[in-house]
Formats: sequence, structure tokens, C-alpha cells
Amino acid sequence: MIKVSENDETFDLQNIFPKLFPKLVDDIEEQTLSPLSSITELESKWIVEFDLPLVSKENISVTFDKGNEITVEAKLREAYVDENFNSKSEFHFFKKMITLPGQINEKKIVSNFKNGRLTIYLPKLFQGNKIKIE
Amino acid sequence: MSQSNKDNTLLVGFPSNGLIGTFTISYLVYHLKMKQIGEMDHPGLMPTLFIENGEIFGPIRIYKKDNLYVIMSDLPFEPELAYEFSRSVIEFVKENKIAKTIIVSGLDSQTRDPKAPKAYGLVTHQSLEKLLYENQIPKFLAGTVFGTDAAVISAFRQSSIPALVLYCECHPFFPDPEASVHAITVLSKILKVKIDTAEIQKKLEHLRIQHRNLMQETIAALQQQAGKQPKSRMPRIYG
Repeated sequence: MIKVSENDETFDLQNIFPKLFPKLVDDIEEQTLSPLSSITELESKWIVEFDLPLVSKENISVTFDKGNEITVEAKLREAYVDENFNSKSEFHFFKKMITLPGQINEKKIVSNFKNGRLTIYLPKLFQGNKIKIE
Repeated sequence: MSQSNKDNTLLVGFPSNGLIGTFTISYLVYHLKMKQIGEMDHPGLMPTLFIENGEIFGPIRIYKKDNLYVIMSDLPFEPELAYEFSRSVIEFVKENKIAKTIIVSGLDSQTRDPKAPKAYGLVTHQSLEKLLYENQIPKFLAGTVFGTDAAVISAFRQSSIPALVLYCECHPFFPDPEASVHAITVLSKILKVKIDTAEIQKKLEHLRIQHRNLMQETIAALQQQAGKQPKSRMPRIYG
């Protein structure tokens, strides 16, 4: 594993939230896969990425609710077939929900989808009483 | 390929950033129809076996074809095991009179362009620098290496056997078979072997889905390795 020395603010990350590392569990009955995701915390925003191969942009739905929950649902272009121990499972969907801590400026959330990777930028909301500097 | 010892080359791959080593080395083994000649085992390894078509395979396997050898692991290593693995690789290199070793890994680059991936080379001994120039591989100039990569590189630095680490820019937290296609192309140049990447290119998206769990296990191992490094910075949160 190697990290490049660059002046990038992502390298100053300190906060790790184990609760945000759920094990990937696919729902065979609902034919739904759990996508890989990563969360980056910067001073000004959160960056959440989802790996959505076999998905087209028009088949993705992203929602953000008051509880800071981001839900991503996507339909696969073609079925993904998983063969294991003589059993065959077919999957047609991706679905995952992630909860972020703190306050988010939901009016300024933006996202893009490139190379089957969905990136969502969620600016933090900074509020509070001003402290006078003497 | 000639059969002279001076041409004996070893390729090493294990799960790391973007699973570049895993995709690259396993495709080479498959494409060149290399024969499995052995396995590596360690009591510290989580007991794991893979079964394919009724055949049992261990997680660390050794392959050979002519004077090209491969050691590949399908399991990421915990920090202590990374050193054990490195020592075993060095022993293998000495026993089999390997002239040069090439380790394939991923480079977490925030500025990468997925459409124009780049590969960088890091050599443990000056004698391999020629290989970089001949194949127009830019030298990896500055950064920090930790985990299994660092353990393997250290072991080679302390030995008289040179190693080249081929670092391919990739997504650090998602499987990146697309970047490994570039690593395969660069490797084929170094090895002077024609490798058609058409087959892997057809399966890129399926490979990303198929390798989600290995990627997740790899991230957990890498975070553990990073946590053992003094003053290391933890990678991004991952789930």
C-alpha cells in the first residue's frame, strides 16, 4: 500500500467511524447487491463515493433525508450472476444507505457519475454564535 | 523465452490498492497458461482454501512457465505476516536463482485520470534502473510506502537480489481492473511477451462486482497495517 505525498486535504483525515463499515450483504431474495462505498471527510464537506458497475446514469436514484441518510438505488443494465457451490443467484439491483454525522447544507449537495462511480459532495453546514477575538 | 538462469524472472502480486496486483498477475497466469508448481503456507494465515471444478487451491500459489515464475496471494496480509511472506519470497528467489523480481501494486493517486492511467517504477537496486528507461516507465520519485509493499521492498533491499515495483495509479478503495489493464500492458513490454488484454477488458464491470468482498478485506488489512505505522495517516473511511 502506498500513499503519494501530495498537498491534499484528504490526507489529514482523523475521524474513523467503525459503524460506517457495514459488511457487504447481498439480498438474494430481492436480487439486490450491496455496492462498495467510501466516505471522505474534508473540513468543508463530505465526499461519498459508490462503486456502481453495470449501471447507467439514468437508472440511479439518490435521496437524502433529514436524518442525514443517503440512499442510493440503481438498476443494473444486465443481470449479474453469482455462481457458488452449485447454486446460481441473479442480481438486478444495487442498494445502500449511509448515514453521515453533523449538519449538511442539503441545498448545495451535488453529484456526478463517471466510469460507473457515483460521487456525492455534501457541504457541511456551519452554524453557531460568533466568538469575539480580543 | 530462453532457459538461462540469468533470465529467471519472478512476478509477485497480492491484494493492495485497487487490487491491481491481484487482477494483473492472475490474468497473466491465465493468459500465459502458467502451471501451478507449489503453494506457500503459514500457521498465521487464516485457514482458507479455494475450490474450483472440484480442485483445491491454497491462497498463496506459485506458478511457472519457462523461466517466468509467479507468486500470488489471494489473501491480504496482516502486518506481521507481511514480513513472513517477504522472507519466504526472498528464500524462493535464492533457491530458484531468480535474476529479477517484479512486484505489481496500486498507487493511490488523487490526481489520476482514469482514461490515461500511469505506471511508475521503483527499484531496489540500481541495476534495474535500465529496465525503467528501456520501457519508458517514469520513476516513482516521492511518497510513502507501507504495509506488505514496504515489507517486500525492505526484504529485497537487504538482499543482493534486485526488485522492481510497478505501481499503477488506481482507485484506492474500489477494485480497479481498468487500471490493471495498463499494468498488464507495461508488464508485457518489460517481459517482451505479447499479452492480449481483450478478455479482461470484456469483464471489467463484472470483475468489480465479483471482487467487492476481497476489496473490503484488503482495506481492513491495509488500515491495520497503516495503524501500525508511526505517524501514518489513516486512509479514507470505507464501507
